[in-house]
Amino acid sequence: MNDIKFTTKLLKLSVLALLSNPFRTMLTMLGIIIGSLTIIIVVALGEGAKRDIEQQYSSMSVTTILVNAPSTVEGARSKLNYDDVVELKAIDSLKTVIPQLSGKVQMQSEGNSSNLSVLGTTSDVKELANLKLISGKFWDDEVDGRAKVAVIGAIVAEELFGSRTADVVGKTIVVGKKEFEVIGLLEYKGGSVGPTTIDDSIFTPYDSAYRYILGINGRFNINAQAKDVSRIGEAVDQMSTVLRETHNLKAGTNDDFRVRDMGSTVSSAVNSSRTMGILLASVGVIVLVVGGIGIMNIMYVTVTERTKEIGIRKAIGAKEEYILMQFIFEAFLMSFIGFLIGAVLSFGAFFLLKQFAVAYVVVWWSYLLSFLVTISIGLFFGYYPAKKASALNPIDALRYE
Amino acid sequence: MKLNKSNLLVLENIRREYTVGGTTYPILRGIDLTVKTGDFLALMGPSGSGKSTLLNIIGCLDTPNSGKYNLKDNDVSKMTISDLAEVRNKHIGFIFQNFNLIPSISVLENVLLPSFYLGNEDQKKAEELLVLVGLKDRMHYRPNDLSGGQKQRVAIARSLINNPSLILADEPTGALDSKTGHEIMELISSLNRDQNKTVLMVTHDMNIAHMAHRIIELSDGKINK
Repeated sequence: MNDIKFTTKLLKLSVLALLSNPFRTMLTMLGIIIGSLTIIIVVALGEGAKRDIEQQYSSMSVTTILVNAPSTVEGARSKLNYDDVVELKAIDSLKTVIPQLSGKVQMQSEGNSSNLSVLGTTSDVKELANLKLISGKFWDDEVDGRAKVAVIGAIVAEELFGSRTADVVGKTIVVGKKEFEVIGLLEYKGGSVGPTTIDDSIFTPYDSAYRYILGINGRFNINAQAKDVSRIGEAVDQMSTVLRETHNLKAGTNDDFRVRDMGSTVSSAVNSSRTMGILLASVGVIVLVVGGIGIMNIMYVTVTERTKEIGIRKAIGAKEEYILMQFIFEAFLMSFIGFLIGAVLSFGAFFLLKQFAVAYVVVWWSYLLSFLVTISIGLFFGYYPAKKASALNPIDALRYE
Repeated sequence: MKLNKSNLLVLENIRREYTVGGTTYPILRGIDLTVKTGDFLALMGPSGSGKSTLLNIIGCLDTPNSGKYNLKDNDVSKMTISDLAEVRNKHIGFIFQNFNLIPSISVLENVLLPSFYLGNEDQKKAEELLVLVGLKDRMHYRPNDLSGGQKQRVAIARSLINNPSLILADEPTGALDSKTGHEIMELISSLNRDQNKTVLMVTHDMNIAHMAHRIIELSDGKINK
């Protein structure tokens, strides 16, 4: 009990010492404040980026393999087209292969008009992107291959019909200049299939999209799914071989297509966001170290200024450890209060990030991390000056003017 | 020299030297001194005679290079730094020429400070001591709001808070005018007279030295016989 009282009194001494020069204390804490704030924000940004990536790729499994045509291949147009889909379907390591013809088109219905995406594909898209219908159904590729029918995403329904309820099925949308019948409504999904976001798209049979809407202006790519994670590499190789054959590419020439498996795309996205996070976190730590050096500097000045006081305290019986504790408390308080201010400022920073629509996720452990790093640095840099103060010879210290 | 129950402190052949830049300067050259409980001693001598060094050694602020120092039957010369701090805290009260109060805390807190380091703050006792030195009404003042004489009274109250048996005063009137100096000396004498405190005082002033029971003269690091 006495120990607690004693410690409280020592803490009070440290507080008084810090308050005796509030401006200097504030300046000293500035580095600590910025450092602890940086750590909190960096973690939140990192988590935000991670969430973004997860959301973006949520509807794609790691077995997804995308084939697209680079915009220009040595000036020549890519030969990638619908016929490749048929060839690729023969590969036994692939479960599904769909063509994707996509583009943005003005759509109208019931007086509403909006610029939305069209995706011409086969009904296999339902399985591949794991789409769920609220009502209606997908088209039959054999029967409706060229029908003017569409399955619409949740946002499309909201934009054009003002609601996403089952009664939109059977209604008509004017896509470009053609009328399409709505035959299905999708659940809200959040995510994308290949380059196309799901919720603000309409899905139509491939031929219908080509003939009536997009033509050669559509962006074409192929979306395939491997049967198993362990066969992705094999599938990617086989796809490249088949495509080179069907495109009649001679040995030694470059591919006029690009095959990417989503597993490695996602993991490289995750990796790069992690690298970024580590980079930013190191900036936070560097700021804190500089802040810690600031604490050390000021504490040296303080110890010198208070040499006489230390001498008096020692002469009347203060043991070395009490003097040490008193100064360590000062370093602790500066880093602790610096952390608290940084934590409070983080709310303001998050408010700003929100205004600028920057993705972030606040996680509790970022505060814990910031707290631990900040306090350790404060104590680390505070220890040496405190040690110096406690080791002063009382006679010399008393004579000091 | 025989150790006697009433001997508060015994110094035997105390030597102290300082080495500066390879040259050794002897300051104390074999001091033998016995002080009994209730004694009142004045230490005199020209500057450089070693009286301050002797007072520091007796006050456990400094340690001798050789010799034996017994305080209350404890061999101080063998103590650790931490033990010495405890001895200063419990058994010795210091009164300095320039008061050595801490300016950032109140008079009361200054008086309480040694008891704080003892882990036994006694507010009531501190107030009683401030009554004794006539400064009860100033206890919430800061030291710098007081006159020199008042500061020294605060320092005296502080020296008494842990009820030490030995009071060490280093030129206690050196920074005061003669009238105030005499008032302070009256107070110090009364501690010896009324509370049976053993007092060791360094002074230049013969008039003040004569208030002591015994005058010890030092020159060249030795006690003049």
